[in-house]
Amino acid sequence: MNSLTSIASILLAAILTNNMVLSKFLGICPFLGVSKKTGTAFSMSIAVTLVMVVATAVTWPIYTYILYPKYTYLETIVFILVIAAIVQLIEIVLKRYIKPVYQALGIYLPLITTNCAVLGITMLNITNEMNYLESLFNALGAGLGFMLAMILFAGVRGRIESSNIPEFMKGLPITLVSAALVSLSFLGFAGIGG
Amino acid sequence: MADILKFFKNNRDDIFKPVIVLLVICIVIPLALAVTNKITAARIAELDEKNETEAMKRLISAETYEKKELKTDDETVVYTVASDGTEVRGYIFTVSAKGYGGDVSVMTAVNPDGSVKAVEILDVSNETPGLGQNAAKESFYSQFSSKTANIELVKGTATENQVNAVTGATITSKAVTKAVNEALGYCDTVINDTIRLYGKEAQ
Amino acid sequence: MKKGNLEYVTNGLIKENPVLRLVLGTCPTLAVTTAAINGIGMGISATVVLICSNLVISLLRNVIPDKVRIPAFITIIAGFVSVVQMLVKAFLPSIDKALGIYLPLIVVNCIILARAEMFASKNPVLPSVLDGLGMGLGFTATLTLMGAIREILGAGTLFSLPVTANFISPMIIFLLPPGGFFVFGMLVAASNALAKRSGKKPVEHLGCESCPSRAACAEYSQDGVKEENGDE
Repeated sequence: MNSLTSIASILLAAILTNNMVLSKFLGICPFLGVSKKTGTAFSMSIAVTLVMVVATAVTWPIYTYILYPKYTYLETIVFILVIAAIVQLIEIVLKRYIKPVYQALGIYLPLITTNCAVLGITMLNITNEMNYLESLFNALGAGLGFMLAMILFAGVRGRIESSNIPEFMKGLPITLVSAALVSLSFLGFAGIGG
Repeated sequence: MADILKFFKNNRDDIFKPVIVLLVICIVIPLALAVTNKITAARIAELDEKNETEAMKRLISAETYEKKELKTDDETVVYTVASDGTEVRGYIFTVSAKGYGGDVSVMTAVNPDGSVKAVEILDVSNETPGLGQNAAKESFYSQFSSKTANIELVKGTATENQVNAVTGATITSKAVTKAVNEALGYCDTVINDTIRLYGKEAQ
Repeated sequence: MKKGNLEYVTNGLIKENPVLRLVLGTCPTLAVTTAAINGIGMGISATVVLICSNLVISLLRNVIPDKVRIPAFITIIAGFVSVVQMLVKAFLPSIDKALGIYLPLIVVNCIILARAEMFASKNPVLPSVLDGLGMGLGFTATLTLMGAIREILGAGTLFSLPVTANFISPMIIFLLPPGGFFVFGMLVAASNALAKRSGKKPVEHLGCESCPSRAACAEYSQDGVKEENGDE
């Protein structure tokens, strides 16, 4: 029971209070670049969530049983290479066995290697000294949080496209200011799951 | 044999060159990292220790600081006894508690009578700048001095054995309070053990 | 006509400022700029990595096969990032604490991979190093400026010295995530206005052209635009 509540609080915190994009600023590029349509935002987030969970499933044991305590200085380099390899593998497996999923997610996968949210979550799990189960759920929560932010923001962007914006704010500036407002609304979740 | 050579020749630029180049890079760079680690690791460890002793000295000034272990039911707590000669000046505990963005690390110095001597916040870098990180300000942590076990956290109306939370940072304040209370709990066990073993005088 | 050496440096500072003009490296720009000193720390760490990785990649540009270029670049960059991380930990521990995981995350900072891909892998050593220096300085200057704005508005201090703290109550919101997005949006708007005055195109989108995965990105962003037009 105790571990169940702790996992629930980890999930809630990762989705709402410590949202990857809106409070940790990880994965800003896809957040601002891709989220123009709800559909694409959704597919991209599914791909990110998948890679986050698989990457955590692989990097956590590598760190805990191989790198720790003597070779912790190799964390960055090993993690990024493992993530790059995992992304390639997922791409190959999907292409070979689950064609429809590949067609939906395939084009987003190469983007994810250099997505700081994925490397970020694997490192945060280590920094926060989470155990294997907690890490997996934290990664899942972070992915779902990413999805929530992407989909919400896609809706906001849709509205911006059709409104009258002052000349100097057009393009990136108005996008960033709307992101500020969405992020402000997420501050209201502070305290949940803490 | 000739076939193998031919295979190698045909695929030299296609397969072997990329593999060998990557392999060389992947050997050279970790080696360079190992060298850097060798140089910096000693300094990082030294720095950590220096910070720890300096923080202890700020909390309790004593001649000697001796590390000891306290075994409770499910964990081993390392603490420090600060003493002048044979007279114990106080006990120092470093406890972490979960704050808003990660762990908050707090060093608590306890008087031999079991009350808080002083508190120092070691790490709040995971907390929100401007809110949670304000817990590291003296106006907050100095409130803990001379409080005793089961300190309560309240908002702006602190009376006896209560402290006021930092504005807008209840979760971080809670974490600090929890860490201090935990330290007091451990210390209680230590003091009781000492009394049981050596009698009231030896304390 | 040969470009002057100084031009490589000023290019990164103003004309192709990585943050405001190329819009690269937005994550650290938003995350660490809660104080001016963090901006400097992040900026200098990234500059060191940029110069070193540009140097090595330019030296090896004829050795690394095209096929494995991205993994090779990432490994080299990750190596330098780890070195910088260890040095900062050993000699500037307070900066290390303030930057947290954003320090190792320099690995995935698109500025570095983008410059390796766009510049260092195609140019001789000296211009590559100077390009790294220029880009790094541009990054540092912008981060410090943004850190200073957020620190003054949000905490009333600059480099931890009180500026307005004594007579205006600070607006903490500028230190929180929304403040980061807001200040960055305003800076881009200001930079766009300045660019327009000198006859350049304003920045409307992220720096996708210089992203290593732009092929995938362009594919769906065009797709998205097309379908959106169809809807209307």
